Amino acid sequence: MTLHAVLIVAALMFCIGLFGVLTRRSLVSVVLSVELMANAANINLVAFSRFGNHPWGQAMALFAIALTVAEVVVGLALVILIARTHGSTDADVPSALKG
Amino acid sequence: MTIAILVATLAFLALVADLVPGGGSARGVGALAAAGLAGILAATWFLPGTGESFGGAYVDDAFTCYVQRVLLAAGIIASLGSIEHADRVFPRRQGEYYVLLLASLCGMTLLAGARDLVLLVVSFELMGIPLYVLAAMHKTAREGIEGATKLYLTGAVSAAVTMYGLSFLIGATNSTRFDALHGASTPMLALGALLVLAGMAYKVGAIPFHMWVPDTYQAAPTPFVAFLSVAPKVAGFAALSRLFVQAMAPERTAPVLLLVGVITMIGGNLLALPQSNVRRLLGYSGVAHVGLLLVALSLGTVDALGGMLFYLATYVASNMGAFLVVEVVGESDIPAWNGLARRSPALSLSMLLFLLSLGGIPFVAGFWAKLIVFNAAWRAGMGGIVLLGALLAVLGLFYYLKVARAIYMEPTPRPDGPVVARATAFAIALAVAGVVGMGLYPGPVLDSALAAARVIAPAGTDLPAAPTAP
Repeated sequence: MTLHAVLIVAALMFCIGLFGVLTRRSLVSVVLSVELMANAANINLVAFSRFGNHPWGQAMALFAIALTVAEVVVGLALVILIARTHGSTDADVPSALKG
Repeated sequence: MTIAILVATLAFLALVADLVPGGGSARGVGALAAAGLAGILAATWFLPGTGESFGGAYVDDAFTCYVQRVLLAAGIIASLGSIEHADRVFPRRQGEYYVLLLASLCGMTLLAGARDLVLLVVSFELMGIPLYVLAAMHKTAREGIEGATKLYLTGAVSAAVTMYGLSFLIGATNSTRFDALHGASTPMLALGALLVLAGMAYKVGAIPFHMWVPDTYQAAPTPFVAFLSVAPKVAGFAALSRLFVQAMAPERTAPVLLLVGVITMIGGNLLALPQSNVRRLLGYSGVAHVGLLLVALSLGTVDALGGMLFYLATYVASNMGAFLVVEVVGESDIPAWNGLARRSPALSLSMLLFLLSLGGIPFVAGFWAKLIVFNAAWRAGMGGIVLLGALLAVLGLFYYLKVARAIYMEPTPRPDGPVVARATAFAIALAVAGVVGMGLYPGPVLDSALAAARVIAPAGTDLPAAPTAP
């Protein structure tokens, strides 16, 4: 297994996540897609760490995992609020703000 | 380091103060936050700098100190301005409001001195995550939640993009230190730098990552919007200067920054032009200001960066003041402001000063900021940028004065003026003092901005006759 193979997998994952963010209609799926994008970065970090023989990448990945969890918690709380105020978790329903 | 620790301590104090039973209202927490931040701001002049901490991951220098003072000032105005709003709209949750505000501020003060990618990411998120929650403080308001969700979704995506970019920076240099970026040049590094720039451009609201700006500004609690519209920008520009000017060679990053800056400057002004809602107008005009700041950043000379830092200080005073006046007036459609001058002369005069400062009229703070940046661009040989900036400044005056015209020239539909709470009035007075003070006597602030810029700018860009304040 080479570094390039891992980077390509991570890049694919990042693109799948980005595609999901742009096309998914359910807000929960959008949050999940963001999670995919963040994990692509983690794969990159661990791969660089493994093939470059330095520990910084793995340390960074641990920090990144904790940060992503905190972010997703806030995101899901917002999805619950959206469901309460708008009666749906569809990304298209909130559309009062324009201009 | 001391300042960030003090802000974190204050956040915990606010948390405890919120838990102390006191008749059901936690109104005092806001006063505690404001007084504490004022104390910390005063302490920045007396506490010795700690130099490098954590093996060089964080550094206390003139730049960190300047940015932290601006941030603390923004925190004081925001806390004071929030007291009445929090007590009226979410009285039972106002403790959390200040705890989150202070946590975000702590992240910003750390970001100012971050010289390591791990600390950069952690402080970036410490700054960002509380902002999502604060934007949703009106949790039963449909529009408020919608604005917060837009802020969150763009923020989460940009955080993921930033992380992905940082992974390439770490991979290209085998290190998390900013110093390792210096002089290195590989395609992987360029890719990483571009992705990080995209993520940070979101935080400061540059085009094409500005979509959340007007929507969140329109729907979130107004005193919080005052904070959101300035503080993350100050911290974001501090991080951008550290990463793209101090760590990487400016001649390589300058073209991209300049391109994004010019597009943002033009786009922000054009988008602000047709707005009929004061909050959205200030939102888009903020995008335009970010464009000019990015142009100053791309120049990378001492006087351009000093101008940028001074610009940020004037922007804190004028934009926060303008949003606090919006909070007092209560309505943000321009026709609702008709004839405000007859109902509430002092408030109208403050708003006029803020608008003139944002527009860049002489003898209020914003004028010197624009003048110094244009002067730096002229010295760098970019006459075209100066011309474009001057044209856009005229365009900007057109929409700022649209609000002033409603206030001063239109007949008033009703006799009673808005009621100003004491704390809010004090916050607005502080902002007026900043705008007028930096307008008539810009010397002290400008000198410390230039001293801060000398830390960041590459050696040899300090002109022998740097512009001195009158």
